[in-house]
Amino acid sequence: MLGLWQAAALVSSPRLLPGPSPVLAAIFEEARSGALFTNLSATLARVAASFALAMTFGSALGYLMGRRRLADKILDPWLVALLNLPALVVIVLAYLWAGLNEVAAIGAVALNKLPGAMVLAREGARAQDPLLDEMAQAFRFPLSTRLRHVVLPQLAPYLAAATRSGLSLVWKIVLIVELLGRPNGIGFKIYTAFQLFDVRLLLAYALPFVAIMLCVETFLVQPFERRLARWR
Amino acid sequence: MLLDVDIASKEFPGADGRKTQVIGDLRFALARGEAGALVGPSGCGKTTLLRIIAGLDQDFSGRVSLPQGSRLGMAFQEPRLLPWRSVFDNLKIAAPLASAAEIEALLKDFDLAAHRDEFPGRLSLGLARRAALARALAIRPTLLLLDEPLVSLDAALALELRERIARLIDETHVTTLIVTHDLNEAIALADRIFILAPRPTRIAATLHIETPRAKMTQARARDYEQEARATISRARGS
Repeated sequence: MLGLWQAAALVSSPRLLPGPSPVLAAIFEEARSGALFTNLSATLARVAASFALAMTFGSALGYLMGRRRLADKILDPWLVALLNLPALVVIVLAYLWAGLNEVAAIGAVALNKLPGAMVLAREGARAQDPLLDEMAQAFRFPLSTRLRHVVLPQLAPYLAAATRSGLSLVWKIVLIVELLGRPNGIGFKIYTAFQLFDVRLLLAYALPFVAIMLCVETFLVQPFERRLARWR
Repeated sequence: MLLDVDIASKEFPGADGRKTQVIGDLRFALARGEAGALVGPSGCGKTTLLRIIAGLDQDFSGRVSLPQGSRLGMAFQEPRLLPWRSVFDNLKIAAPLASAAEIEALLKDFDLAAHRDEFPGRLSLGLARRAALARALAIRPTLLLLDEPLVSLDAALALELRERIARLIDETHVTTLIVTHDLNEAIALADRIFILAPRPTRIAATLHIETPRAKMTQARARDYEQEARATISRARGS
């Protein structure tokens, strides 16, 4: 990939596609000034907060919809509407209604991820084994035991799928939210680079961020999934 | 009486929307320490009856009474162990008040010590049934409910498990209710046999087994079987 990049940089103009070494130099420059870390951590905090929000509420609501017909009836139209609402509409409306602040930014991202988590949690709730349910009832398992040892293990593969698809969706939308209305973060820096026509700066911010998200996937999400599947 | 069952009627909605009565006027009781067996052909509503007694189905008219604070130990036909937890954890989760030593002892009693850390998916049906039975006992049940405990085991394994259950009833004196389609199984395990007649399910005849479980011989069992068959045909005739 590096070789391909270097080759492409050689045939195009350095303004359009700088090679790996100037980009690396820019990364060091931004790191030395501290700007890289401030913006990276701002973005990562937004990713973490909106992801946690969306997964918590999405799983709870989705599970409820899978188990209770009435909840499904009431929430399903909302779910369909949210699924089909463009991310941009949600973001702009959030900024208009709540102002250009952190609550609006994180809320808008969470709202974009919410329906996906709901759909998967609902599938998971519908796939619960009724025989184990009945066993838990016969043995009078308390609610906490039932959730932890009966419900969650069956829901886990669905939540893992929601995590995987959710994380990649969330970080993409966080950048847009930052571009549209935050004074820091990777998205904000990319917007600056766009206005200055500075591809070098753009790549200097985009690449470390992609690298971090790859690490999260490889070192957190995948081991977690393997752990869940151990008993199989 | 420890268990007192008095079901006036249990209905299921039929395909045409009309209700079909599946259980009608069914009454029996078990004394503390007694082992009863409900015997009937498959599809005669035995499982529905057991679900009502276990409190899993409350949509019926009548009542099932057990003393306050009773604990129900149930061994289902399918072992229904949590596949993502080890055998030991399955017992521990069902019986959080039991100490680790108590659970280890129970596993040893059921010859499961070697399988303590295995996931249930790796166990044979015979082993999984034993684990499910151990789980039902781990909660120190007031009433032990066994749903077809020997079904679909091969003859040797079924006999082995049957003797184990007989010993267990004699040693712990736990009040037990066994649901089975197999009359011989009931004769070997129960003190009292309730023979069910279908559509709607009711008790057609009751049979006392006077011979202690440990003294039951094949010849004695055959006599009881003949007596039971005669009772059943008399009940049909009247």
